[in-house]
Parts: sequence; structure tokens; C-alpha cells
Amino acid sequence: MTTADVALPGLDCGLCGFKLCSDLAARLPAQPELLERCIHLAPKTAPATLLRPLPQRESGTTAAATTVAAPRRAAGQALPVMARAEPEPTWQDSLGREFDFYLEHFPEEPGPRETILPHNPLITREMEIKVGDVLIGRPLGMSCGCPITHCGVATEVDPRTGVIVWCVTGPLRPRQEGFKDLGYYTAEAYDGLIRKQRPDVEVKIGMRYFFQPRMCMLQWRHSGLVNFMNRTKEGLQVRLEGLWIG
Amino acid sequence: MAGAPRIYFDNAATTPIDPRVRAALQPYLDDCLGNPSSLHVEGRTARAAVENARRQVAELVGASPHGVVFTGSGTEADNLALAGVTRAFAGQPVHIVTSAIEHPAVRETCAWLAQREGVSVTYAPVKSDGIVDPDAVAALIDRETRLVSIMAANNVVGTLQPVREMARVAHTHGVLFHTDAVQAASCVPLDMQRDGIDLLSLSGHKLYGPKGIGALVCGDSVPLTPVIHGGGQERGLRSGTENVAAIVGFGEAARLCAATRGEEAARLVQLRERLIEGTRTRVPNAYVIGDLYRRLPGHVCLGFAGQEGESIKLMLALDEAGVAVSTGSACSAHKASEPSYVLTALGFDAFRARGALRITLGRFNTEGEVDRFLDLLSRAVGTLRPITTRAGAVAGVCS
Repeated sequence: MTTADVALPGLDCGLCGFKLCSDLAARLPAQPELLERCIHLAPKTAPATLLRPLPQRESGTTAAATTVAAPRRAAGQALPVMARAEPEPTWQDSLGREFDFYLEHFPEEPGPRETILPHNPLITREMEIKVGDVLIGRPLGMSCGCPITHCGVATEVDPRTGVIVWCVTGPLRPRQEGFKDLGYYTAEAYDGLIRKQRPDVEVKIGMRYFFQPRMCMLQWRHSGLVNFMNRTKEGLQVRLEGLWIG
Repeated sequence: MAGAPRIYFDNAATTPIDPRVRAALQPYLDDCLGNPSSLHVEGRTARAAVENARRQVAELVGASPHGVVFTGSGTEADNLALAGVTRAFAGQPVHIVTSAIEHPAVRETCAWLAQREGVSVTYAPVKSDGIVDPDAVAALIDRETRLVSIMAANNVVGTLQPVREMARVAHTHGVLFHTDAVQAASCVPLDMQRDGIDLLSLSGHKLYGPKGIGALVCGDSVPLTPVIHGGGQERGLRSGTENVAAIVGFGEAARLCAATRGEEAARLVQLRERLIEGTRTRVPNAYVIGDLYRRLPGHVCLGFAGQEGESIKLMLALDEAGVAVSTGSACSAHKASEPSYVLTALGFDAFRARGALRITLGRFNTEGEVDRFLDLLSRAVGTLRPITTRAGAVAGVCS
């Protein structure tokens, strides 16, 4: 290939890594593959770039177009109210599995309340974990097995058993205040509110249900045994133990 | 590395202000007190400064100064473009075609228009390489389509969109074309006349300028209805006394970008490739998300196969080590961070969509910082807990 074979755009945009189009052109005879770097000439469907290959799923168009068609207003008709009407849930998680209710966190708390046990309960004492400490860790194995590292703030600490109650929050707080790393832990119980449930489901103590923690990033359903119920003005307060994902 | 200065690799979030920009705008904070709408000397001095900046911004994107409407942010510019065009077609059906990976400034505005103003919005899919296909956009245009809005560069994965082809597609159907160029304008040559762009959004603080200033640049004859009403500033399209110092800084920032764009882009590509090559060598389970070349010159979006769920710990470890990068969010009581919907649109499952690490290099970053970052990154990744102990399977986990 010679430089005459290629009409570079002459923009000298630098996006290929060369300051001038002529610099790239000079290299093309020896390295014609460099032409792929010109975003103005390269085919618009360049191969996906991986340092290591990933499964076939990565190729091709990933999703169909989606359209949101709002109801049309007649001339002179009043604007709808500001609050968005909450659509009826599909009662399916992100993997298409059905569940019975959403579990919400208590409104006065900064995030979902969980009772957890470090895999080595002694570290609760060794790390001198106390109420108010910001913690991170991952719920490994028995119980949830969630692949996501969680961050939270301790609200109760039992140094004798190692059990910690925390409210799961976002990553901002550990960034600002520092944190203690629990490593792996087991999620022993969730406490929260049921405000919305499938119309055909009645929640009873002693029964196991599929539920969707509202703040679960993966939006995967969980299952658990209801062993405490209390009707409050905010919703049905429940405690769930024997937790599993799926 | 105790005592080492922090490394700022989050230039896609905001860029540090260039000292030359600060010097240019400072007199307009200290000495120039005039309102540009006033007729006295002070007012005329402020007006001249605003108009000079307008010319500088226009030159950055190949537009007429007359088309530059200063706004309070890039987000406001996007709002003006989308809502302004919609309202210009009052009484007629309006359909907007946009993409599944737009910044919330476009995405949420479209959702609002759909809910409140009866607009239909269609979201074009994105390919797994992070690029929207113009043919897919063309297929979505119908008789009611008034506007196609596709970003010039994606803020999460950094991929560059073929805006000229998008504009051609839109114009073929007699439809206006808007692009959010907030991420692209500092380092990608955009020429509204050459590329056929009707509306283009900019933000000062992504160009090494001040925060709190943006612009919507409009081509000739673009129908636009204001969304902010008042004293009729900015040709009646954005009322409100002009933020003179910020506008002056924005103009100087635009001038500097235009003057050094090609050279700076080439330098950033070299830095980016140094970072990618170093990562490949030292962190073998890393992968680059998005097309390798059709991307912003300083933008690297990395995933770590098998360790995606640990992105928060990685971010915390890097932050503690003195590096500012951007990442997703763990389970949170707060709003989920932006990577999820963009990576989901690229075909990532919910687990892998949490694992992106966004490293964005800028004007003031150096080779030495990249090398130091590679040390810190490999050390931090080494502390992460893998989701599987089957080492050979990490690349395929959660596929």
C-alpha cells in the first residue's frame, strides 16, 4: 500500500495517535493495519475490543429499539400532574422470575437493614467494630451469595457472637469517612417493610416467599422465611431469615 | 506512596480549569462589574467580552457566532434543544429519535417530554462496541419525527458516534439533528456546517473552563422556542443576565481547545495506549469496553473479568491510594450510578454492568502518572476477591 492508495481526511485530528494525517500516511506502507485507527475511514462496525476474549454474547446489536409513546393531549387539556403514576409491577425480576412482594427499607434509616455475620465472627472484636462504623464486605456463600461488594453503617454490634446489624448504603460514605473491610460475611436476616405485594399473595408468618429487595442493584429475587410481622402505618413490617438469592 | 500528589484521572466528570482560562476570566470577576445589557461603558465592556467569547465558542464548532446561545450548563443546553424544538412544533405530533446510551440530560428530558408534552420518543439500540448504527436510526424515523438527538461521544464508555452520518440520515428525512458534544468538543473536530449538525450542546467545565456555563449552538433557520423567559437575553432564547466571567472563561477555553486539539488528541491517544498496554500486561483479566479506536482520545473503560462485583472496593482502594477515577455503585439506598443503563444497553448483564472502571485522561496528565497508576491498579486488583476460584473461567463468568 502506498500513501496514494489512501485518501486520508486531512483533518489532522490526532485521534489516530499521529499529530498529522501525513504522519499516519507515512507509516501505512509498512503497517497498513494502522488505517483502522482513522475513525473517519475505518469501517463503522469495528470489532469489539477485549484484552481477553469474552463470550459470543458480546457481538451484534444488543437490543431492539424501544419507544415510549405518551398519551396525546387534546388542545387546551390540562397538563398532567407532576407526580409520575407508578406502573403496576410485572412481579418479575431481571431474570424473568416471579416474586411476591417488594421489600423496602425503613424510611428513617439510610438504607436496607440487614443482620450479618462475618465469616470469622471474631473479627467483630478484633477490628473493634462499633455502632456508626462504616463497613464493606461481600455476602459470600450460605445465604445470599451476592457477587456485589456492599457498603453500610453499623447500627448494632454484638461482640460476643460477632453479629452485626447494619444499614446498607452507597459507596460515598466509605470514600468520605474511611471503612473497615469485613471480607466475607453471611446475611442472616433482613428487616423491612412490605408496601406493595402481588394481589393474589397473602403474607403469613412462618411461610417462605420470593421477594425483591427494592434497592438490589442486580434486581434479583430473593427468598426468605417470614418470622416476624407487624402492621404499621408505613406498611407491613417483616423480618426475613433463611435467605437465599433465587 | 505516601506524600505523592493525587492523580486525577476523572476528566470525563470535570476538567481542571486551565490557568490561562483562570487568568482570562479573573478581571471579569474583579474589575468588570457591568451588565452586558447596560448602555454605559461598563455595560459595553461586558458586552464586548461576551461577544468575543461567543465568536471563540462558535469557531470551536464551525458555527456562526449568531447561533451560540449561552446557557447555565450542558444539561440546560440539552433541555433547550429538546424542549425548544418540541415546542416550536406546538400543535403538531412530535417524535424524537435518540439512543439508549444518552446522558441523563437528554434521556431524562426525553422522558419528561413524553410524559408531559405528548412527545413520542424512540431509543435506538447500541451495538456491543458502544456505537449507534446510523442505519438503525434511519429505520426509526417516521413522518412525525422532528428531531434526532445522538451524542457525539459517550460519557461512560467513551465511544465516538458517527455524527456526520447521523446528520445525513436525519436530513435525508427532513429531520433536525442535535448532538450532545459535551464530552467530545475538547478533542474531536466538530464542524456544524461541514457535518450538518443543526443543534450542538457544550459545557464549559469539560473544556478546562469554569463550571456553571454551557451553550447550545444552533444552525440557521432552526425552529426553537425558549424554555426560560424574562429579559430576552441571548436572542430571546435564554433570558437571564449573562454570567460574564464564566462566559469569558468558556470562550478562552474554547479557543485553547481549538488551537491545540489535534496535537493534544494525539498525545492523549499515546497516553491511553500506554495505559491499555500496561493494563494488559499487568492485569490479565482486564478488558476494554467499547471500540478501541472510535473513542475519546483520553478515555479508557475497563472491566475486570470475574471481579466485576468488586468495583466498589477497587474504586475505594484507588481513592485511598491517591487516584481519582470513576466507577459504578454498590447496592445503595441512593440512586444507582450511570454506568448501569449504558452498559446494559451494550448487552452486559446486571453483574458485569456494575464492574466498569472509567479512567479519563486530560490535558494535565502525564506519562509518569500513567505509570504510577498502573502500579497502583495492579496492586489494588490483586486485593480483590474473585467471584470464582476457577482461574481459567474468569473471562467467561456471568456471560
